[in-house]
Amino acid sequence: MTHAIEVHDLTKIYPSSGQGLLAVDHINFTVEQGEVFGFLGPNGAGKSTTQRMLTTLLTPTEGQLLILGYDLADNAYPAKRQIGLVPEESNVYTELTAWDNLMFTGRLYRMSKTDRVVRAEELLKDFGLWEKKDVKAEEFSKGMKRRLSIAMAIIHKPALLFLDEPTPGLDVQSARTIQNLIRQLSSEGTTVFMTTHQIEEANQLCDRVAIINHGKIAAIDTPEKLKQTFQQVQSVEISFTVSFDDLEEKLATLPEVSTVLKIGDKWRLYTESPPALLPHLIKFTEKENLDIVSLNTLAPSLEDVFLQITGQQIGSVSEEPSSQKLGMKRKKGK
Amino acid sequence: MKNFWTRIIEELSQAWIVTLKDIKVYYLRPGMIMFGFLMPFFMFFSFSVKREMSAGDGMARLLALTIFFTAAAAGPFIIPTERRLGTYDRLLAAPMSLLTLLLGKIAVGAFFAIAVSSIAVIIGILFLDASIAQPILMIAGIFIGSFTFSTMGLIFGSIPTRNPGDVQMPSTLIRWVLLFISGVFVPLSEMSTVARGISYISPLTYSQDLMNHAVLGTGELALWLNLSVLFLSGVIFLLPSIKLHKRGRVLGY
Repeated sequence: MTHAIEVHDLTKIYPSSGQGLLAVDHINFTVEQGEVFGFLGPNGAGKSTTQRMLTTLLTPTEGQLLILGYDLADNAYPAKRQIGLVPEESNVYTELTAWDNLMFTGRLYRMSKTDRVVRAEELLKDFGLWEKKDVKAEEFSKGMKRRLSIAMAIIHKPALLFLDEPTPGLDVQSARTIQNLIRQLSSEGTTVFMTTHQIEEANQLCDRVAIINHGKIAAIDTPEKLKQTFQQVQSVEISFTVSFDDLEEKLATLPEVSTVLKIGDKWRLYTESPPALLPHLIKFTEKENLDIVSLNTLAPSLEDVFLQITGQQIGSVSEEPSSQKLGMKRKKGK
Repeated sequence: MKNFWTRIIEELSQAWIVTLKDIKVYYLRPGMIMFGFLMPFFMFFSFSVKREMSAGDGMARLLALTIFFTAAAAGPFIIPTERRLGTYDRLLAAPMSLLTLLLGKIAVGAFFAIAVSSIAVIIGILFLDASIAQPILMIAGIFIGSFTFSTMGLIFGSIPTRNPGDVQMPSTLIRWVLLFISGVFVPLSEMSTVARGISYISPLTYSQDLMNHAVLGTGELALWLNLSVLFLSGVIFLLPSIKLHKRGRVLGY
């Protein structure tokens, strides 16, 4: 079966003074048809550049791109007919109504009038926008614009959908609607290529993920296999009834602990071996006369793997709300 | 061969879809009204006050001005605005050729100029009591001039930038320069040899002369020359637009 996406030695150097800016450096990967593929990476890693090349918006410096079997350098036209694109910023026409936005896109993809009308009605109802179909998009909230933007990208039932950061900044309802849509599209056979910062979202939605860093693919596998590869970032999460000033320092001195992270009222102790740490931790609580509220051992999260691969410290990115204060103590010598 | 013609018809229909969308979205935007509608009229009246000219002469100048300024206003306003809002990506990623997209954009400016020129014709007939020597030639001249100058505006719109301000300034500057060398305010017959020579490099010269033929029934240059230069200029103006768009894809715009 033809791959949905085949990337060979893809390179992008942005022309600038000197030698230019290397954004993507000879990357190779394939995405299978029907797969939900996550493309993760820190800011400036090359995610959006790669996606823009895959959607013909940017000309590669080197390399070959095959979309649904069509070489974009030779014949992008049939590939373009079968792809849908949802950019990071919702690019709806705010002067047009939701209905007119969908009709315009349907015409652009050469859908018959009957198909356009039926599909637009179906999508507006699915996305909770039917009541607002005759309202100009300038009156829509961010979440509504996002939903409309996605509806416009899939009105022609693309075989391959590109999503750039689909949910950040959205209310829970809009984010949940979009996540359910991705699952539904996947179950119907649509290939989904999504770039995201939402690592937990990628963990829940993606069949496979690639992590790109400094323009190179650092890892590519299923989320679970990636987590197994990084057992050194297992952790024990514990909370006590009370806390005291130097508790963090004391936890950091325990044997087997590499890093201590305060997450709300809990302490996360990173370790290569939770079973080896637990006896020390129990002894510590007895010695300090601490009562345990909860105690859990945690396998590495995809976020932990991401941080390890991208060389960022644990604690610099978290799925916890940003307003939550995070404390971190790294053990000396580790 | 059938596939070829089917594809041509499909592409033209998509260009038309882009045009219709832009008409709905942009014709009433302040930038278009200011630079495309009000400016040529302001300029005409400011240069006409207390100047002796016949009604027909005034109408020919007003027509040349509106065609030129209005048609060339659309590209520099619409494309950078769309790039900034991200809506241009939707068009670039759609299944149509770059030429189709550009034709759609050219038609937006051209139809705007045709509409505004029609208002100029009505003003000329009703308020200046002007008569038109060759109405069919005037209509043809308005059409060909509108498409040519809309294509010229597209060059500025194709400059890789997301800020309309970056494009408006050079495009306005060049339009002003062309206006002063092109026999709109000083007729070709009154120009020095050097000035006349310079005026021949501006397509607006031929548009003004064409309007003189159409409205006054007389011009300095041959009719076939005016029509040919305008048509060829329109075709030639497309080339830098295509090149700039391709450059934009390399730079990431």
